[in-house]
Amino acid sequence: MTTIVEAIDLKKTYMLGKVPVEALQGVNLKVETGDFVSILGPSGSGKSTMLNMIGALDKPTAGTMLIDGVDISKLTDNQLADLRKRIGFVFQFFNLIPRLTAKDNVELSMAIADMGKAERKKKAIELLETVGLKDRINHKPAELSGGQQQRVAIARALANSPKFLLLDEPTGNIDSKTASEVVALINKLNTEQNVSIIMVTHDQYLAREAKRTVQMFDGQIISDVVNQK
Amino acid sequence: MKTIDIFGYSFSAIRLRKLRAALTTLGVIIGIAAIVALLSITQGLQATITNSLQQGLATNTLIVTPGASALGSATSGGGSFGARDGGGNGGSFGLGGSSSSGSGFNLYVNYTDQIDSLSPDIVSSFAVIQRPGFVETNNFNNTVTIYGVDFSKYSQQYSKTFIAASGTIPLSPSDNQIVVGSRVNDPGQNGTLLFSSNDSVGIIWTNATTIPIINETYKAQVSGVLAKVGGFGIGGPSDDGVYIPITQAESFFGTTQCDTIIVQLKSSDNATITNVSKAITDHFDGQVSVISSTAVLSLLSSIFSTVQLFLGGIAAISLLVAGIGIMNIMIVSLIERTREIGILKALGMKSRTVLTIFLGESVIIGLIGAVAGIVLGWILANVTARVLGSGVFGGGGGFKITPLLTPEVLIGALAFGVGISVIFALYPAWRASKLKPVEALRYE
Repeated sequence: MTTIVEAIDLKKTYMLGKVPVEALQGVNLKVETGDFVSILGPSGSGKSTMLNMIGALDKPTAGTMLIDGVDISKLTDNQLADLRKRIGFVFQFFNLIPRLTAKDNVELSMAIADMGKAERKKKAIELLETVGLKDRINHKPAELSGGQQQRVAIARALANSPKFLLLDEPTGNIDSKTASEVVALINKLNTEQNVSIIMVTHDQYLAREAKRTVQMFDGQIISDVVNQK
Repeated sequence: MKTIDIFGYSFSAIRLRKLRAALTTLGVIIGIAAIVALLSITQGLQATITNSLQQGLATNTLIVTPGASALGSATSGGGSFGARDGGGNGGSFGLGGSSSSGSGFNLYVNYTDQIDSLSPDIVSSFAVIQRPGFVETNNFNNTVTIYGVDFSKYSQQYSKTFIAASGTIPLSPSDNQIVVGSRVNDPGQNGTLLFSSNDSVGIIWTNATTIPIINETYKAQVSGVLAKVGGFGIGGPSDDGVYIPITQAESFFGTTQCDTIIVQLKSSDNATITNVSKAITDHFDGQVSVISSTAVLSLLSSIFSTVQLFLGGIAAISLLVAGIGIMNIMIVSLIERTREIGILKALGMKSRTVLTIFLGESVIIGLIGAVAGIVLGWILANVTARVLGSGVFGGGGGFKITPLLTPEVLIGALAFGVGISVIFALYPAWRASKLKPVEALRYE
């Protein structure tokens, strides 16, 4: 097992107007390949900031954030962008491009990673089959349900064979029945295809689906437990 | 990201907002069309005038007129290029019918002898007397310009235009023989001829120097009718001209004073033109203007450059407005797509790729706008030329402009259209590329 994400005494301070807000106050976390970690916490706990760090979207104020062994605070904007191609981001609001079909949305992340047209078309169709959307490949996001959109987003996140999937409230905008389908898909990816997963949520029932739950409060990790299933 | 994928993505963004993109493109189309139409019309006009001038005024020819103001007289001396009032002006750049300029110096027909002896580079010279007048047939009274010329020398000088379409040009004419321009015989330009060769017509000249004013008149016989000359009749035979022998002109107009003396040179090189011009000017103590076609052409060319710069500048302003429209719409689009830019960056897109996507949209708009603008401008130019040629503005059949679209204008319009679009998209594209992914994703 290799370490894919490692936070060492990670600190992040925002300026909210003129008031400094210490969103992360010395966080230590280690995630290895094949893991399924949920980061649980109420709003204001610093979990979104943690998400931005793990997603290489933002740099820490102090401490070290290693993603796939690389210290992100030492990277330029372009290098950060390249690193993000190795992270499978799934957003709370799906964040699909509305004018593109399901297939084109999945292809987009591969196009950004310079993959050729024929290859990415083939892979996009395969991925959409994996997430159970074989008959929806040419539908636009507006023609898909919330659960379907989220599955397109997961297919898109998997497209560049990322080191890990990073999910932000993956069931936050879908009904509970669809949510359990999405959770089942995530579990299946982790157990059957050994995809490493980091999931950020405020929902403790959802968090319990993971192998391990990290609980955050006031910018610190207050518990890190292996879930009993 | 590959270039083709970047352009594909740009294009998909444009297609999403078709009406908006179409209106933005319309701005570029109008700007480019205006530039292309104005420039191709003026260039066509310039070519027509230059051509007409070269036809009427060979490069080895000098025109001597009374009055000291060198080239100025070519443009300001009564009547303008192509003026048709009073029956047109064929003989000399619209220099007025009554010749004497303010200086009080006059040219006389027999001065040709003096001029001939001035330089070995001179082949020969001949005088032209011109007056506005009328040609009277049984039922028609037609306004013309009467030119007194030496038929032999005149036909030698204008061997391409002083040609009879019917009848002949008598080289040693008797006093009552005349040659007429095609429109004199066919004023409507519709094939209805007023007379045929060898018919008798009345020549009338209003003599305003006597008190009371009297109409001088005589019966003339039409020996030949000229082929249609067309053009503007600058410096050569005119469709509205009536040509009478110079000796007859002297007695009919009661003067030996002439309006122009046309000098034919052995060579058309600049040194000969300069030397002979100077010799003639010096001989008449600077009281005459000597015009060469080379000088007139360069003057014309500089006038047209100015006109083109002016018209092109006005058209360019409309393109500038189009550019501002592009910038405006790109900023709106940027704000609308903030979240999308956040997604793209979260997926690993580099800032410069985001920049290229936005610039790509402007390149597509600029390119489509420029191509459509060139086509539209060319159509406009041709329609305008046809309207002008159809005589709506009193041009008759002779005023023919063929719009010219030079490669310079074509490439320039294309580059200008795309260039303006890109320049005005730079700022919004730069702003898009500088968006921070975290903030862009949070944008509602």
